[in-house]
Amino acid sequence: MGSFMILFTLLGGITLSAQSSINGTLSRKAGSLETTLLTFITGTLFLALYLLFFGNGHLGALFQAPKWQLSAAFLGTIYLLLTVIAVPKIGVIAANISGIAGQLVAGILIDHFGWFNSLEIHLDGKRILALGFMAVSLYLIYLGNKRSAAEKAKVAV
Amino acid sequence: MRPIYYVLALLAGAALSFEGAIYAELGKTIGQVETSFYNFAAGSIIVGLLWLFFGKGEMMQIRRAPKWSLIGGLLGVVYLTSIVISVPFVGVGVTMVAVILGQMVMSMVIEHFGWLGSEPTKVNKEKIFAVAAMAVALLLIN
Repeated sequence: MGSFMILFTLLGGITLSAQSSINGTLSRKAGSLETTLLTFITGTLFLALYLLFFGNGHLGALFQAPKWQLSAAFLGTIYLLLTVIAVPKIGVIAANISGIAGQLVAGILIDHFGWFNSLEIHLDGKRILALGFMAVSLYLIYLGNKRSAAEKAKVAV
Repeated sequence: MRPIYYVLALLAGAALSFEGAIYAELGKTIGQVETSFYNFAAGSIIVGLLWLFFGKGEMMQIRRAPKWSLIGGLLGVVYLTSIVISVPFVGVGVTMVAVILGQMVMSMVIEHFGWLGSEPTKVNKEKIFAVAAMAVALLLIN
């Protein structure tokens, strides 16, 4: 079950990166807030249609759910706003890589402490080694993107 | 002054992990697709308000844009739903590493070929080793 979940989540990452390219193209014409709004509205419409026919959960229980769980809706917006603030100051590459680092470290911390009642997975030697590989990976992306940017600048000249 | 912006970017990423962990909890009570629906509906309200007051773009351009450029919402649904389903089984850490690995590989391919309106950017050996290192991290953490 676990490996199937990981494949499914890899697919989630793939669709997310396709989304950012597509939305990037659209936002150059329509604006970034407009594109984000369109993404949320079309997502809502698709899901509403799906739930009408195949929904078997308890959407009504939303109103009884603890408010801290509902507040997660603001986290996506916080991500967007912080990114918009950081990009002009430190550049797209650095902002993306810092964002990924934050996401990975926060994920490991949530697992370690079992925050939000989640699965508790303690930080062990293997996980510390994994963090090392992640850091190496992020540094290599930084180098790779810097090289691509430098090559592009050369072509432009 | 600059370090503060790195901290903001780090916090932005951390917000995504917190979002995944919290929605996993909500998914257990109301259902996973229902949680995804809640996220998009509430997001529409929040961003709708921001757009009303701060929107500077041209919404009508969306009518003229090619139709394939309008499917971002559907792709976002796949991403969010996969997270809500996966987190309770494998934890937030593994989920996020897998999402990022998927993103890294796919962005490299999209940019290499200049698909989806992106500016073509050739794959280089640094990027390939970066993917390999992240794949090792996924194997170790799992």
